Amino acid sequence: MPDQSPPPPAEPTDAQPRQGNAARTAILAVGGGAVLFVLGAIAFDTGLIHHEDKADKQAAKTGAVSFQPPPMSAIPDGPEGESIRRGMAIFTNTGTNAKQFVGNGLSCQNCHLDAGRKPDSAPMWAAWVTYPLYRSKNKQINTMEARIKGCFTYSMNAQDSPAGKAPPLGDQIYTDLQTYFHWLAKGAPTDTKLKGAGFIKLKETKLGYDPGRGAQVFQQNCASCHGADGQGQRDINGRVVFPPLWGPHSYNWGAGMASVKNAAAFVKKNMPLGQPDRLTDQQAWDVAAFIDSQERPKDPRQTGTIAETAKKNHGGKDYYGKTVNGHVLGTGTPNSGPLS
Amino acid sequence: MSETPAPRQPQPPAESFEPYEEHRGIPLPVYWIAIALALWGAVMLYHNAKSVSIGHAQRSAMASELPKAANMSGADIFVARCSTCHQDNASGVAGAVPPLDGSPFVAARPDVVAQILLHGINGPIRVGDRSFDGHMPDFASVLSDNEIARVASYVRKRWGGAKQDIDAGFVEAQRARFAGKGAWQGGAEIAATLDPGLAPQPAYTGSPLPTIQPATLTLIQNGRGDLWSCAACHGAQGDGHDDVPRLAGLPDGYIARQLADFAAGERDDDTMTMVAKQLSPAEMADIGRYYGSLPTPSNARPVLGGDLARGEQLALEGDWNKGVPACFSCHGPSGFGVAPGFPSIAAQHAPYVARQLDAWKGGTRTNSPLSMMQKIAAKLSDGDIRAVADYLATLPPVPAPRARPKEPDDARPVAATTR
Repeated sequence: MPDQSPPPPAEPTDAQPRQGNAARTAILAVGGGAVLFVLGAIAFDTGLIHHEDKADKQAAKTGAVSFQPPPMSAIPDGPEGESIRRGMAIFTNTGTNAKQFVGNGLSCQNCHLDAGRKPDSAPMWAAWVTYPLYRSKNKQINTMEARIKGCFTYSMNAQDSPAGKAPPLGDQIYTDLQTYFHWLAKGAPTDTKLKGAGFIKLKETKLGYDPGRGAQVFQQNCASCHGADGQGQRDINGRVVFPPLWGPHSYNWGAGMASVKNAAAFVKKNMPLGQPDRLTDQQAWDVAAFIDSQERPKDPRQTGTIAETAKKNHGGKDYYGKTVNGHVLGTGTPNSGPLS
Repeated sequence: MSETPAPRQPQPPAESFEPYEEHRGIPLPVYWIAIALALWGAVMLYHNAKSVSIGHAQRSAMASELPKAANMSGADIFVARCSTCHQDNASGVAGAVPPLDGSPFVAARPDVVAQILLHGINGPIRVGDRSFDGHMPDFASVLSDNEIARVASYVRKRWGGAKQDIDAGFVEAQRARFAGKGAWQGGAEIAATLDPGLAPQPAYTGSPLPTIQPATLTLIQNGRGDLWSCAACHGAQGDGHDDVPRLAGLPDGYIARQLADFAAGERDDDTMTMVAKQLSPAEMADIGRYYGSLPTPSNARPVLGGDLARGEQLALEGDWNKGVPACFSCHGPSGFGVAPGFPSIAAQHAPYVARQLDAWKGGTRTNSPLSMMQKIAAKLSDGDIRAVADYLATLPPVPAPRARPKEPDDARPVAATTR
C-alpha cells in the first residue's frame, strides 16, 4: 500500500497557519466586538440612538416644545403655597370654593382634565405662558384675569349664580387661580408653542358634521358615563361624577365648548376618558355636533334678539340661532341656579 | 483493491458527490456584532438584576416602614381618609358633602366627632344654612382607636376651635357606648342622642328597606337543592374574603348584571357560571338588592405588599403620563361607585381587585362598557396593580344607601323650554 504509507504532505504544513489564523481571528473578533459595543454605548449615552415617537416628530415639525408641570407634591410652603392650594381647590371644586359665581354643575377640571395639567385639554401651564393675548372673541388684548372672567361668564354660567355675574376683576379668586397656573408653568418658556397646548386642530371632514349621526355615536360611546340624556351622573351623596353636557346645569351658549370645532377637538383627544383617538375624526365631529345642538343656558351677551346675537357673536360654526327639530336654539333653559 | 488504480474510474459523481464548501472563516464583522450583542445583553442583565434587587430592597424597606403608617399624624390621616369627600380645605362639596370648616358638629362636644367617625351617617343633616343628604362611611373597621383619636383631634382643633386633644381611651369608650349600632340616621338622631345644641335638624323620614322574596333569602343563606348558597362563599353579610369579592354595598344593578353575564358566558368563572345559570332574572335582581343594601364593616386589608402611596396616586389622580385616568374619576370620588354601571371599589379585597385587573389586562374578563377596564388595566404594571388593590382595601366601606340614590329632579332634558 504505497499510497497509504506516506501521509499527505500538505496536512501538517496546513495546520500550523490555521492555528495562527484562529488565534488572530479570535483577537480581532473580540477586539472588534468590544469596540462596537463601546461605540454603541457611547451613542446610546449621548442620545444619538433614542426612541422617537410620532408625537415627538409632529412636535418637531411644528417646533412645539415638550413641557411637564411640577408634581403636586412640589407645592411650596408659605403664603405662595397657600395661594396655589386655594387656586387648585377653586379649579377642582369650583362650585364650592367659588360658589357665589357658579351657575351650573361644572368645575374647571371637567374640561381642563387632571386639574389643568393634561396635554390637549387646554392645560393651564400652556395658557399661562400665552397670555396676555389678542382674542377675536372680544377683539381686544385679554389678560389672564380677563380670560378667566370669560370662563366664569360662559363655561360656569355665572348669570345663574348667586352673585348673578362673574367675579369682579381684582377678586381674590383670580389671584389664587393665577398663582396656581403660574406654579403649573414653572420652567415653561414664555410665548413659545408648547406641545399639548390648547386643543388639537381637528381637520374638517368631507362629510361635514351631522347631529343625527352624532346621536348614534353618543349612545354608543358616551351614554354609559354621561347618561342617555346627557345629564351626567352623581354618586350617592349627589356629587357630580360625570358632568352634564347640556341642559340647565351645563355650559351656556357663549362658552368655547359650545363651538362644535372645540368640542370635537376635545372629544377626539380625551373621550372616552383615557382612550384618545378611539373615535374617528368623523365621529368626533358628529358627536360634538349632537352635543352642541342641544339647548343650554342662554348666551349672556344677548341683549336683543337671538338672531342679532347670532350675527354679532357667533360666527356660524355653532348651532346658536339655528332651528333644530322646530326649535330655535339659543332660547336658553330655566335658571335652576347652582346645584343643590 | 489489489489492482493498480491506473484506470481510476472517474467516480460516478451522481452517487458520492456531496456538495461542499471550501472552509472559510466566518466574516469578522459577524463576530463583532455577536460579541457586541453578547456584551450588551450582559450589561442589560446586570442592570436589570440591579434594579430588581433595588426594588426588593425598597419593598422590604417599605414593609419595615409599614408600622410607621400607624403613627401617621392626624393631618396625614385627614388627607388620606377624609379629604376625598370633605376636601383638603374642609370646604366640603356644595350640594353634596357638608363642610367641616365652621360646622357646629365639629365644634360640638368631643363625643360627637368620635361618634360620627365610628358609625358614619345615613340621613339628612343640616350644616350651617344648608341641608345635605348625608351618606358618610364609618371608620370603625378601618381605623384604630388611636388613629380615630388623632384625626378627630386634628379636625376639632383645626376647624372646631377645640383646645384639647382626645385620646385613644376616650375613643375606646365611645366605641363601646353604642356597640352594634348602625349609621346615625342623620343630624336629628345625633342631636337627640349626643348634643341637643345641634338642633334643629331635618327629620329622618326613613326609607324602606328593599323587599326581598323570602325564597331568595333562603337561597342566599341556605342554597337550593344542589345549588349552594351565596353566603357559603361571600358571607351572609356579603363581606367576602381573599379573592372572593365583597358584595355588600355594590350597586344592586351591577350585581344582577354580573350574574347575568356569568350565566351568559360573558364573564368567565366556572363556579359562578354554574350558580348563575340556575337563577332567574328576578332572583338575580333580588340578590342584588339584598347585598347592595348591606352596610357591612370592612374586613379587607392591604395584603399584597403594594406601594400604598402609589396606589393612592392612581386612585385619586391617575397617571396621565401612562394615559391612566384616576379610578375615582369614574368609580366616584371616594370609590363609592356610581350606580348602576360603576361598582363601588372601596374596601374591596386586594387579591380580588388584583385578580380582576389581571383578567382585564390579560383579556380573560371583557364585560366592561367601551372596553374601559381592559384599556386601563393594560397600562398598569404588576406593581401598579398590587399598589392600587392594596390602597382600595384600606378605604372605609361604602355607606350603603338605604334608599335609591337621590334623583336629580331638576335635571330633566330640556329640549324645548323657554326662559
